[in-house]
Amino acid sequence: MSDLDRQIEQLKNCEPLKESEVKALCLKAMEILVEESNVQRVDAPVTICGDIHGQFYDMKELFKVGGDCPKTNYLFLGDFVDRGFYSVETFLLLLALKVRYPDRITLIRGNHESRQITQVYGFYDECLRKYGSVNVWRYCTDIFDYLSLSALIENKIFSVHGGLSPNINTLDQIRTIDRKQEVPHDGAMCDLLWSDPEDIVDGWGLSPRGAGFLFGGSVVTSFNHTNNIDYICRAHQLVMEGFKWMFNNQIVTVWSAPNYCYRCGNVAAILELDENLNKQFRVFKAAPQESRGAPTKKPPPDYFL
Amino acid sequence: MGAPEKLATSNNNSMQRVKVYRLNDDGKWDDQGTGHVTIDYLERSEDLQQRSEDLSLFVIDEEDNETLLVHRICSDDIYRKQEDTIISWRDSEYSSELALSFQETTGCSYIWDNICNVQRNLHFSTIRNETYNGTNNELRELPAVELATLPKILKVVVDSSVTDQLCVTELILHDQSFFRKLMDLFGVCEDLENKEGLHMIYKIVKGIILLNSPQIFEKVFGDELIMDIIGCLEYDLETPHVNHRNFLKEHVVFKEAIPIKDPLVLSKIHQTYRIGYLKDVVLPRVLDEATVASLNSMIHSNNGMVVTLLKDDTTFIKELFARLKSPTTSPDSKRNLVFFLQEFCSLIKSLQMVQQLRLFRDLVNEDIYGVITDILQSEDKKLVLTGTDILMFSVNQDPTLLRSYVSRKEGVPLLGLLVKGMLTDFGNDMHCQFLEIIRSLLDSFSSAGQRDAIVEIFYERHLDQLISVITSSCKSINGTHGFQASAKPEILLNICDLLCFCVLHHPYRIKCNFLLNGVLDKVLYLTRRREKYLVVAAVRFIRTLISHNDEHLASYIAKNNVFKPIIDTFISNGNRYNLLNSAVLELFEHVRKENLKILLKYLVETFWDRLVKFDSLPSIQSLKVRYDQFQKEEDSRRRVEERVLEKEEEDYFNKESDEEDTASASTPRTTQIRAKPGLSSGSDASSPSLRLGGLVDYEDDDDDEEYKPPPRKQSEKPEDDEKSLEFRLKRKLLAAKEDPNLVKKHRLVGKNPKSKESLFATLCSTLSHATLPSKKPTSSTHSTEEPVPEKNGPVSPSEISNHTSKIAEEKGEKGVTGI
Repeated sequence: MSDLDRQIEQLKNCEPLKESEVKALCLKAMEILVEESNVQRVDAPVTICGDIHGQFYDMKELFKVGGDCPKTNYLFLGDFVDRGFYSVETFLLLLALKVRYPDRITLIRGNHESRQITQVYGFYDECLRKYGSVNVWRYCTDIFDYLSLSALIENKIFSVHGGLSPNINTLDQIRTIDRKQEVPHDGAMCDLLWSDPEDIVDGWGLSPRGAGFLFGGSVVTSFNHTNNIDYICRAHQLVMEGFKWMFNNQIVTVWSAPNYCYRCGNVAAILELDENLNKQFRVFKAAPQESRGAPTKKPPPDYFL
Repeated sequence: MGAPEKLATSNNNSMQRVKVYRLNDDGKWDDQGTGHVTIDYLERSEDLQQRSEDLSLFVIDEEDNETLLVHRICSDDIYRKQEDTIISWRDSEYSSELALSFQETTGCSYIWDNICNVQRNLHFSTIRNETYNGTNNELRELPAVELATLPKILKVVVDSSVTDQLCVTELILHDQSFFRKLMDLFGVCEDLENKEGLHMIYKIVKGIILLNSPQIFEKVFGDELIMDIIGCLEYDLETPHVNHRNFLKEHVVFKEAIPIKDPLVLSKIHQTYRIGYLKDVVLPRVLDEATVASLNSMIHSNNGMVVTLLKDDTTFIKELFARLKSPTTSPDSKRNLVFFLQEFCSLIKSLQMVQQLRLFRDLVNEDIYGVITDILQSEDKKLVLTGTDILMFSVNQDPTLLRSYVSRKEGVPLLGLLVKGMLTDFGNDMHCQFLEIIRSLLDSFSSAGQRDAIVEIFYERHLDQLISVITSSCKSINGTHGFQASAKPEILLNICDLLCFCVLHHPYRIKCNFLLNGVLDKVLYLTRRREKYLVVAAVRFIRTLISHNDEHLASYIAKNNVFKPIIDTFISNGNRYNLLNSAVLELFEHVRKENLKILLKYLVETFWDRLVKFDSLPSIQSLKVRYDQFQKEEDSRRRVEERVLEKEEEDYFNKESDEEDTASASTPRTTQIRAKPGLSSGSDASSPSLRLGGLVDYEDDDDDEEYKPPPRKQSEKPEDDEKSLEFRLKRKLLAAKEDPNLVKKHRLVGKNPKSKESLFATLCSTLSHATLPSKKPTSSTHSTEEPVPEKNGPVSPSEISNHTSKIAEEKGEKGVTGI
C-alpha cells in the first residue's frame, strides 16, 4: 500500500495527518491543481456535492449514499471547511483523494476557502488546536488559492459555488482571472464565490452578505442562453430539503451538510448525473450519533506546562 | 448565586438627581425633597444572611444628607416608567403611591434597568427556594450512596428539569462526603468486576459533569478526585474499554526543564493537562457545547494562573535565562529549556492583553532574542523550528519588539539567520514561519525608523542572496550546464512570494535595486523550471511589478525584452487552459485595460507574429485592437500637434514681440492637458487643445463594452441587515487581527465597478496575506483617509499636494500619472 493510500485510510478514520505529510500532500496537490482551468471541464457521469463545512461524519454518510471515490466520480462545490468540528480531516481527505484520483474528483473553491473567512469561522483555530501551530493552516490556505473557480459538465451544466457575476457574461471571461490569490472583496472572482439567486430580484441586487450580488431569473436565463447551457448548479445556501430548483429549473442549489452546524435540522442532498445527464437527487440525513467515531485527538505524551 | 456588586455609589451626579413625590390623600403629588438616588444593599441587623437579597433604592437629600427614601425593591410588578424621567410605584411600607422624577433621562433608564435586573434575580431565587423547600420534596437531600441506591442517584442526576438540576448541584456540593463515598463504591465495584454497578457509576459521573457547574468541576478535577473520576469514565459499556488511568500514570511524562517549587503551580499544571485529556480523549462525544466551553475556560484560566505565578517568580525566570545562555548547559538540557520556553510563550496568550505585552517586554529584557539568535544557529533542525515558533508568538503579540531589536546593531545577525532559515531545506518539516517573520519585519506599516533600518540591511545584504538561490536553481539559458545547486521548489516559491511582497511594500527601493542588477531577468529564470507553479509565480512577480504603472520601469522592460521568457512559456504552454494560461492572459488584460502604452506597444510590436496564432482568444485579439486604436490616436494627435505648432508659428509671426511670453506659454498648457485629461474644462471649448484633450481622454472611457457591467450601486448597503453586519464585523475583526490598512483600503474602494480598482484590490490580495504599501503610513487616524488617487487615473494637483514627501517616496512612481 502506498503512503498515499495509507493516508487516505487514516483520514477515513478521521485521524489527521502529520505536519510533514500535509506538506508533501499539499505540494503534490499544487502540481495537479495548477494544471486545472478556471472553468474545469468535467465528464458525466458525476455526482455533485454542495457545502460540507467540516462535518466529517456526515461526509462519510455522503460517500455511503453516493458510493466511494473513485468508483463514483465527484464534483465538490467548495466550502469544505469551517463551522464543523473536523475541517482539517475533511479537507485533507478530499485533497488526498484529489491527488490519488485526479480525474475522478474535482474540487472547486467556495467562499470559505479563504484566509480571512477561515480565521473567523473555525478552520484557523482548529488547525492551531490540532497541530499546535498554524503552519498547516498556512499550507492549506495556500492550496485554496490554486483551486479552480467553476466547472462545466459536458458543456451543459455550469457549476460554481455561489453564482453569477455582473462582470461575467460568457464563460470565456472567467478565463482571464488569475485565480491564485486570496478571494477578493469584489470583482468577478468574488462574485462567483459569493452571489446568490433571489426570487424577488429583477436583474442584479445588493447582497446582504456584503460580498457578491443577488441575481434574478432574467440574469440566469440570459446567461444560460448565451453560454448554451441547460442549467446552473450551485451550493452556498442552506436549503432544508437538501436541494432547491429556482427560475423554472434554470438553477439548482445543492446542499450537502445535513443538520448544518449540528443544529439546523435540515437534510442534505447530492445530485447524481448519469452519462446522459439524467438527474437523480439523493437525500441523506446526518450520521447517527453512535457512528461518530472514537476520539481522534491524541494528546502529547509529555508536557512542561 | 453571586450578589450583584454595589450598583451606584457616587452621590454628586446629575444623572442621579431626583425629586421624590408622594401622592397625598387629596390625590395630589407632594414634593418630598430633592436628592440623589442609589441602589444599594439594605443593611438589616436582624438577618445578615439575607443581606445580599435586599437591594433597595435610597434617596439621600442633597442638602442635609438625610435619607429621604428607602425602598426595598420587590419582585412584584408594581413599578411603572413614565415619560422617560419618572418611575412610580405603590409602596406598601409607606402605603401610598411614590414617584421619582429624574433630572436626566439616562439616570432614569439606568435605575429602571437596575430595578428590572434585581427583579429578575429575585424571581429566579424564588423559584429555587420553592423547589428547595416546597414543590419537589424528593430533592431535599440526595439518596445515601450505596450500591442499591445507584439507580435512584442516577435518576436524580440525569432526569431532572433545569431548575431541579440547580438543586442537585447544590445538594452535591453541600454533601461533603458524596464524592468520596461514590469513589469508594467505584473501587468496590471495580474490585468485584461489577459491570452493572460500574456502568451505572459511569452514567452518574457523566451526568454530574454535564450539570456543567464550575464549583463541581473545581471539586472533581482536584488532585484528590480526578484520577478516580477518570476511572469511572472508563466504563462506558458502549465503547471498548480504554485504560485512561494507566495512560496518565504510566505513559504521560511531566517534564521539568527547571524544577517548579510552588505546589500550587504544579497542581494547576497537572489539572490542566487532565481536564484537556478528559475533554479531548475521554468524553469528546459526550460533552455538549456549553460544557466544553466551561472546560475550555477552566483550562484558559489555569494557564493564565500558571504563567502569572511563574513570571512573578523572578528567580525562576532569571534561572531559566541564565541556563539558556550558559555555555556549560548540556545540549539535552538546553533542548528541554527551549521546548519549555516555547510552551511558556504559547500560554502567554491566556493572560490579559496588557499583561501579555508587559511579559513579552520583560522577556525581551532578559534577552530572549539573543537566546533565539543562538538557537537558530543550532544544527538541530527541530530546535531551530522551535526557536522560530517562539519568534512567531512574539511577532503575533507585538511585532514592534522584534523590529526594534532587529533594527539595532545586535539584531542584525538575527535577520540574516531568518533569511538563511527561509533558504534552508528542512526536509519534511514545515518552515513557512521564516517567510512570515521576515514579512512582518519588512512590513511598510511599521514605524519609519525601524523599518528603514531593517529594509536597508535587507536589500543591502540579502536581496542578492535570494536572487542567487533562484539563478543557481534554474537551468542556464544556453543549456551548457544544468542545476548548480537546486533549492527545493517550495523554497523558490517562498522567495518569489517575498519578492512580490517587497514590490508592494517598497516600490521605490525595488526600482533602485531590481533594475540595476538585472533582478527581473533573474527572477524570470523560474520560467525554466519544470514545476508549473513556479513558472506562474514568476509571471505573478512581473505582474505585481507592473501594477505600479511606472513609465521608467515599462521602458526598462521594453528595452531589455523582459517579457520574452513569459511569452516563450505562454506559447509553449499552447492551448492548454491552466493557471499559467490564465495568469498570462490576465497580465495582457491588465496592460490593455490600464492602457500601459509602452508595454502595449512593446508587446504587440515584439511578439505579435508569435501571439497571432492565439488570436481566437478575446484577450489576445483585443490587445491588438487596442494597439491599432492607439496607433491611430497617435497619428491623429501628431497631426493635431503639427497643426497647433503651425498655428503657434503663425501666431508668433502675427504678434508683436512683447507678447512673446504668452505665446510660448501655450505649449506647456497643451502638455498639461494631455497629462490630466480629466481636468480639461469646457471653458475653452473652441480651442484646438481641447480636441487634443478629448482625443486622449479615453482613460475614463469604459472600454470593456463586451463586459457590459450593470450599474453597481455606489450607496452603502443597509447596515441593519444582520448578515451584512456580520460580514462587516468579520472584516473589522480581521482588520484588528491582520491588517487594518488593507481593510481600510477595501472600504475605500468599496463596490466600485471599475475594473482597474477591482484589479488593484485583487492585487492587494495576490500575495496571500501580503499587505499593500500604506497609502498613509503615518497612522490610522481618520483625517489621513484622503481619497486615494486611482492608479493611472487623473490625479488632481490638490491630491498630490496633500501627500507628504514621505508618502510620495513610498508611492514611488505614483506621481507619474496620466498617459
